Amino acid sequence: MKALRASLFLLLVLQAAACSRIEPWVKPYERERLADPIMSWDRDPISLAYITHVRDSREGARGASGAAGGGCGCN
Amino acid sequence: MFLKARMTGWRAAAVGALIASAAFAGSTRTPAPDFTLASRSGGKVELTQLRGQVVMINFWASWCGPCRQEMPLLDKMYRKYKPAGFTLVGVNVETDPKDADGYLKATPVSFPILLDTENKVSQLYNVSAMPSTVLVDRKGVVRYVHHGYKAGDENEYLDRIRALIRE
Repeated sequence: MKALRASLFLLLVLQAAACSRIEPWVKPYERERLADPIMSWDRDPISLAYITHVRDSREGARGASGAAGGGCGCN
Repeated sequence: MFLKARMTGWRAAAVGALIASAAFAGSTRTPAPDFTLASRSGGKVELTQLRGQVVMINFWASWCGPCRQEMPLLDKMYRKYKPAGFTLVGVNVETDPKDADGYLKATPVSFPILLDTENKVSQLYNVSAMPSTVLVDRKGVVRYVHHGYKAGDENEYLDRIRALIRE
């Protein structure tokens, strides 16, 4: 019984943790690695636009393919 | 010692909150937290040493496009207003300043570049965008914070610098 109560309490604590404030984990000045060209889907933005267009047509859906900007947090 | 550390933390939080509340760009009036950083050209630079001059602190990195774009413009500003009591420090936020060296070799600037390899000063000033530009007046008060850079923003910098120099 005691163990059950303890585990329930633990579960509650873990669930409550989800209510804590969400912040960006990586600060703008720490985006050195994220801003590296190797992190982009394609180095050629024009070819990427075509590929995205083809995918949009094929899937019948668009968007959610990433965020805009080079990762410097300035947009 | 403990009190001093707490005080610095409290002040940093106050400045951080103010910078954050300034949203995108804006005027503030908080004492600029002091820092000492190693300079790229050797030696150390302390913010309080620059008291009496209008100081622009520019947080930049070589991987940040807009930062690279504004560097030559900042250099021009520095050269033009240096005799009038203006100074600029470029705080490089990279953990390894090697890339910055490469960039500066191709695009040399005359203002001092400070190395914040541990990001302590970036934390102290709560840098929430790259680049971030902070203007400190002659008395050591943060008067203006600007986040990011897009073409034309340098005119806003110039207006603010001229106003602070005239004070």
